[in-house]
This record gives sequence, structure tokens and C-alpha cells, in this order.
Amino acid sequence: MTSPIDGRGGMDHQGPPLAVEMSGITKYFPSSDVLANDHVDFAVAAGEVHALVGENGAGKTTLMNILFGLVAPDSGSIRVDGRPVRIHHPDDAIRLGIDMVHQHFKLVPSFTVAENILLGIEPTRAGFVRAADENARVRALADEFGLPVDPTARVGDLPVSLQQRVEILKALQRDARLLILDEPTAVLTPQESQELFGVIRALAARGRTVIFITHKLVEVIEVAHHVSVMRRGRMVGTKPVAETNVRELARMMVGREVLFRVNKPPARPGRPVLEVDRLTVTRQDGVQAVADLSLTVRAGEIVGVAGVSGNGQTELVDAVTGMRPADSGTIRLLGQPITHLPVWDRRASGMAHIPEDRLTVGLNLQTTLDENVVVSRYREPQFSRAGLLVREKIAALAEWVVSRFSVAAARPGEDIATLSGGNLQKVVLGRELSGEPTCIVANQPTRGLDVGSIEFVHQTLIDARDRGVAVLLVSVELDEILALADRILVLFRGRIVGELDAATATEEDVGILMAGGTLEAVS
Amino acid sequence: MTPRRQRQLLDAALIPLLAILSGLVLASIFVLLAKNSPLVAYRELFRAGFGCTALARCGFLTTLERATPLIFTGLSAVVAFRSGMFSIGQEGQFVLGAMVAAWLGYAIPLPPVVHPALILVLAMAVGAAYAYVPAVLKVRLNVNEIITTIIFNSIAILFMTYLVNFPLRATRGSTAVTRPIDATAQLPEFLPGSHWGVGFVLAILAVVLVWIYLWRSVTGYEQRMAGQAPGFARYGGIRGGRAAIRGMLVSGALAGAAGAIEVLGVHHQVLQGFSVGLGFDGVLVAILGQVHPVGVLLVSVLFAGIRLGAQIGLQITTNIPRELGGGILALIILFVSARSLYTDLLAWVARVTGRQRAPGKEAA
Repeated sequence: MTSPIDGRGGMDHQGPPLAVEMSGITKYFPSSDVLANDHVDFAVAAGEVHALVGENGAGKTTLMNILFGLVAPDSGSIRVDGRPVRIHHPDDAIRLGIDMVHQHFKLVPSFTVAENILLGIEPTRAGFVRAADENARVRALADEFGLPVDPTARVGDLPVSLQQRVEILKALQRDARLLILDEPTAVLTPQESQELFGVIRALAARGRTVIFITHKLVEVIEVAHHVSVMRRGRMVGTKPVAETNVRELARMMVGREVLFRVNKPPARPGRPVLEVDRLTVTRQDGVQAVADLSLTVRAGEIVGVAGVSGNGQTELVDAVTGMRPADSGTIRLLGQPITHLPVWDRRASGMAHIPEDRLTVGLNLQTTLDENVVVSRYREPQFSRAGLLVREKIAALAEWVVSRFSVAAARPGEDIATLSGGNLQKVVLGRELSGEPTCIVANQPTRGLDVGSIEFVHQTLIDARDRGVAVLLVSVELDEILALADRILVLFRGRIVGELDAATATEEDVGILMAGGTLEAVS
Repeated sequence: MTPRRQRQLLDAALIPLLAILSGLVLASIFVLLAKNSPLVAYRELFRAGFGCTALARCGFLTTLERATPLIFTGLSAVVAFRSGMFSIGQEGQFVLGAMVAAWLGYAIPLPPVVHPALILVLAMAVGAAYAYVPAVLKVRLNVNEIITTIIFNSIAILFMTYLVNFPLRATRGSTAVTRPIDATAQLPEFLPGSHWGVGFVLAILAVVLVWIYLWRSVTGYEQRMAGQAPGFARYGGIRGGRAAIRGMLVSGALAGAAGAIEVLGVHHQVLQGFSVGLGFDGVLVAILGQVHPVGVLLVSVLFAGIRLGAQIGLQITTNIPRELGGGILALIILFVSARSLYTDLLAWVARVTGRQRAPGKEAA
């Protein structure tokens, strides 16, 4: 087998950048009855950075999966450099010079960077892999594109941003002339995102075409030449970035004007409601996920916990809500210790919980709306009498959730499995707020939601705050923390590494702390 | 009713029907091999199993009598499955319930009504206790309940063999059998000469009570949520372990009742080899009945009817061995297990019809 890289470390990436033209692409998914792409036309010029934006479910990823050969379109045609092509399989796409970096990386954590990049095409002698050759090749490749990486490092030890870089190098090694990046910034800190934009610009400068899927509009303005907007399976339009702005793009995406600033009066914090003192949580694999963590949330304020995913957020929330035992430390709710109380008693004391996984934890998709809205309250006398459920009262609760939170397409007594993500989250919110809690613990409350639903969730949390509820908001979306929180705590490797006043905090400051830096070192 | 709900109900009815039809069609090959007409054979089978010419000669009533233990063991499996426990321990609990009835049926003199009622309660308690051990092992130590319940079945069957052969053996004759129970303990029959009686009424009552328990009671709600979505249940404050143990207790009690009613209402004593797989059949009945009490009732009657029809209709009227009944049931089970065949088929039909409706396809 011949490798595109010759043995002396010299490169042969001489192919010109690719131009792609997709026309009339239609894809219908009968199982979910979704028309994911409806006669979509999409053209990318050679050597440009082209952003593809749209809400969740707009059909961006489907369109790119079709281009990469992962999904077969029902109709439509694709031209690469003007020639009509048929792409039935990712191998076809790779042969044409098209490659894709997915949201979830496909790397072997226990292998080195070089082993991952050259997986399947290792330089060998007499059946043995020659590690020195591997490392030299990868180093040369990295130098050529200005993407420094240590070829001998184990991928599992690298931060997410470098793992992403390895994925990009792997595609470049296969001589990709058009790279599709599927929401590449979703897992990065702001600083890491900036570095990625540098990489994208460098790729374009070296004659690669880049398609960049995102729903963060600021990024589009920053890095792309052209932007195409999709909404509900249709292509709304393509614009040169120089001739548009975030507001216009948002309107194209959502189909109406979007409020960017959440309507948020100043907080009037009251007495302490949730007090966490020197909490330590160890995961089942022995890793200390939360270490010696203390925080206080007062009535009428939103405390935001920022941090890159995987720094102890899940364990912190689980320990506070009773889903996971704490090793040491105390948790108090309105002064009463709840550290060792089961979930039910915490809820009875006024705690509400919006979990990060609404599909398997926050809801039971196999049953009705009624049985979903009553799960945290069914033992209250109004909902059960003499061991039997009071179905009329439960139906009334479901009705209240549906009307108060305008859950579209949901009716009491019916299954909720077919509701959209935004409506499902409204069911969770409705249930959690129906009991008039004194404290809400919200973990990634807008993950995977579209812009309209995010607005709704944010407004709901702020309204709760203004009624005097203490809100602990844990989110990896820095924008969300900055928009909602009154105080910002930054979580890094299970510890609070900084506290900032939301009124004065900047994205840069929080980002530095999120990455494990200190503000003193910068200033 | 939502379209989705309609689809569910349609599937629930269509899949067993298709399975039964496919089973009968395939089984007709064997009827042909035995040089008989399948149409004649099936007519005889259904006449014997489900027909009723006169009250005195009513095959269907015998079918209901034979369906009684299946309904109970089927309900037992439904309650266990619905609480997330894949218990197949109905056989063991059934056997122990039967032994309680066989022994106390003659050992304690009591007036009518009180006698069978007390026995029933005790048999249920013994069945529940016997299900409790695998449940606790599962919840506390995460010991696989499938394995423990299978082992517990073997233990119970061997224990029964011991009891019938030694402490409770009635005669010195060649067959090991317990003493017949007192008349006071017997469950009344509705027709002389038929064992169709109070036991069946209790079975219908159990169907209703299990349905209320699972879908209207607080503990039933807890169990279903814990069985269906453990993470969701825990999040809501349901203690899944407790719910599962409660479910197993109810499941064991139902299987214990099945054994006792079989002795009190039909056999009036226990023979060596009394266990003929009625407990195991409960698992099949529950699965074929869509893990629903009403489904269990229907499938139990169907099962019992086909067996009886094969035994009487085929064996006696035609020359086909009654084992064909077992063959038909096995084929039906096979076709129900291959339900993805029908769901794929139905999905394909939906796709073909749906595609024409989907916009964008016309332009292709």
C-alpha cells in the first residue's frame, strides 16, 4: 500500500483546494417522520472557510453526512470541482479529498498521537511498526500546517483541544482537500476556540477548503468567508460574512427577531439557601471528582458554575441533589443538613433539579406526560390517597405544565416520546417549578436546545430568581453563565479556582480560569 | 386517541394474530405429513378446545379451567418484569404453593371457606418469601436474578419430590402421592364433573387487581418507573431497590396462589412429577401477552385451548398425536419472538405509504 507521504518526510499535498456544489438534496427519515433536507442547494468555493449554521434539527449535520457518504440522500446531486460524483460511503468521500471531523472523536486513547494519525498505514519493516519513522512523519506533517503536537504523547492524556488537532491532522494526512468540522468549538474554552480559528485560517491559507458547522454566530463572523443558514431542513440563504451581522443571521436561523440580552433586573440576594461546605466526591473509578469545594447560593440570586466539561460538574450536582453520595463535607438547605438525605427528602425540603440528561434522567420517554410530571410529587396527599394515585389531580398538574409553559403538542394522558427537545425541557421545567421550590439546581439546562427554547429556559430561571428562588446554574456554555449568573464560580479539576462578579467579569477572565490559569499571571 | 396510541394497539393485536396464523400455516405441513387435511385437523382442534355444544360437554370450560394456573403464573411474570426484575422463578414458587395446599389441605381441620382461604393466604406468603431471596440478592449484591431464580426452581422441585416421596407420602403403592385434601379445603366447582370453578373467578379477579395495582396504585407506579427508567426513578426520589423487592413479593405471591389453586381446585393432591412447567409457561404467556394483565388472560386461554384441542380433538378424533399442539404453540412462540419480522414489515409498509406523502419525493 502506498502512503501519500513519502519516506523522507517530504509532503505531496499538491492538489488544489476543492469546490463542492450540492443541489436539490432531499432526505426524509421515515422512522422519525422528519424531512431533514428539503431540496437543499449548497455551494462552497475552493479554498474558502464556509460556515454552516442553523438550530438543532435544522439539517446541517444530515447535509454534511450526505456529503461525507454516511447518509444516502433520497434525491439530489453532488458535484466536486464541477464533476458530478456519487458518494456512497466515507471511503468514496476520502478518495475525493473530502474528510470530516466529528463532534465525538474517533481516536484510540491508549495509542500515541503518531499511532493514531497513521493507524492502518503504519510504516513497517518485516512486519514491525517503525515508531521512529512514524514520529518523524507526523512531526513533518504538523510542521507543514503549523499545528504543533507531540507525536509521542498518548492521546488519552491530551486535552480535548489537542485531541481535536490530532483528528484534523489525521484528515490532512489522508490528503483531505476539503475538511468538514462538525461543531468543533462545542468542547473548547474560548482561548482554545481562538487557537482553532488560527488553525482554520492556516488551513485556508494552505489551500484547503473548510466547512465549519456551528450555532455560535459570533464565531461565524470571526472566521468564515461565507455563511449558509439552514432552518427546518431548508436552506434559508448564503451570504458573504462581510455583508451580514449576528442579528441578521439569528433572524434567518430562527425566523424571527431574537432577544440577545436576557431581561434581567439586578439581583436582590437574601438569606443563604444552599450551603455546600468542603464537599469531596469520589467517582466509582477512584478519581476524586470534587475536592474540598465550598459554595453558597442565596435566595434570589443565580450562582453560575463555569468550567470545561468533565471538571466535576456532574459529580457536584449529583452530590448536591442526592443522586450520588458525598465522601465528606456538608450540604445544607435553609440551614438544615441534607448531606445524607435521600433524594425524596431533599425534594420535600424544597430542592428542584434540572438534570443534564433529560432523556433518561429528567424524563421517562416510555410513558405518559402525567406520569412524568408527577414523579417528584406523587407522594403528596393531593396526588395519592389510600395508596392509589389521584388521576384527576395528576392530569390537572399535567394540564397546568402544558399551559403555563406552553408545551406544544403535549396533552395530559399521552406519551411524550415524540416531543421535541425544547418541549421536553419545558416539561422538566414545568414539573420542577410546579412544587414552588426554594432552590433549583440546573445542570446544562439548555444543552441541545434551539435558540428559541434557550431564550425560554433562561427567562424561566430568571423569573424564578426574581421570586426569591436560589438558583445554582452549572453550564459549560460560557455565554449562558455570563448572561444569567449574578456571581460566577469557575470549576477546574473539581475545585473552585475563582469567583467573579458577573457585572464585571469578562469572557477572557473566565476562560483563563476555566483552562486552569490564574488572573494574576496575566495581569 | 392519538395516532401513536392507535398504532400501538394495532401492533399489540396484529402481531400475536400474525404469529398465530404463521404458526398454524407452518404446522399444517406436519399435518399433511401425517396424511391428514389441515383444515379438518384445525376444525377438530378448535371444536375440542374452544367449542361448546352443551354445558355438560363443553371443551371451552375445560380450557378455562386449564388456563387458570397460566393466568396466575403469567400475572406473576408480568409484575416481576414490570418492576425491572427478569424473574423466571414462577415454577419454584408455584410448586411450593402447591405443597402448602397439599399438606394443609388435610393436616388442619377447618370449616369450608376458611380452610381454602387460609391455605391460599399461606401459599401466597410462602411464594412471596421464596421470591424475596433472589430479589434481595439482586438489589443488595447485584446477583443476576435470572440465574438465582433458575436455581431456586430446581431446589423447589427437588424439595417437592422429597416431600411427596417421604414425609407426605400417603400410601405404600407404586406411585408417590400425597393424601387427598379434605372436602372442606376444596374449591367449589360450577359444574359437576368439571374442575372449572372458583379458581377461574379468582384468576379473573387477579387480572383486575394486578391491573389496578400496576397502573393505579402508588407502589405500582414506583415499580413501573423503576423498571422502565431506573435513572428517572432515582431522580424523582423513588427507591428503585425497594420497588423491585415489592414487585418480586407480589410476583411470588401470585405464583404461590397458582400452585395452591391448582391443588385445591383441580388435583386435590400432589403426585410425583406434579410440576409440568406451568410456572415456566407463565413467562411465555407474559411475553406473548405484551406484559399486560389482559394480554395474559387472552394468551392463557389460547394456550390452554390449543393444548386441549390437540389432546382431545386431534388425538381422539383424528390420528394426529397430541404433541402437535405443543408443536403449534412452539411455532407461535417462535413467530412472536421473531416480532421484528412484523415490525420491520409494518415499518416497511409505513415507509412505502409515507414516502408518497412526504413532500419532495415527487420531484425525484
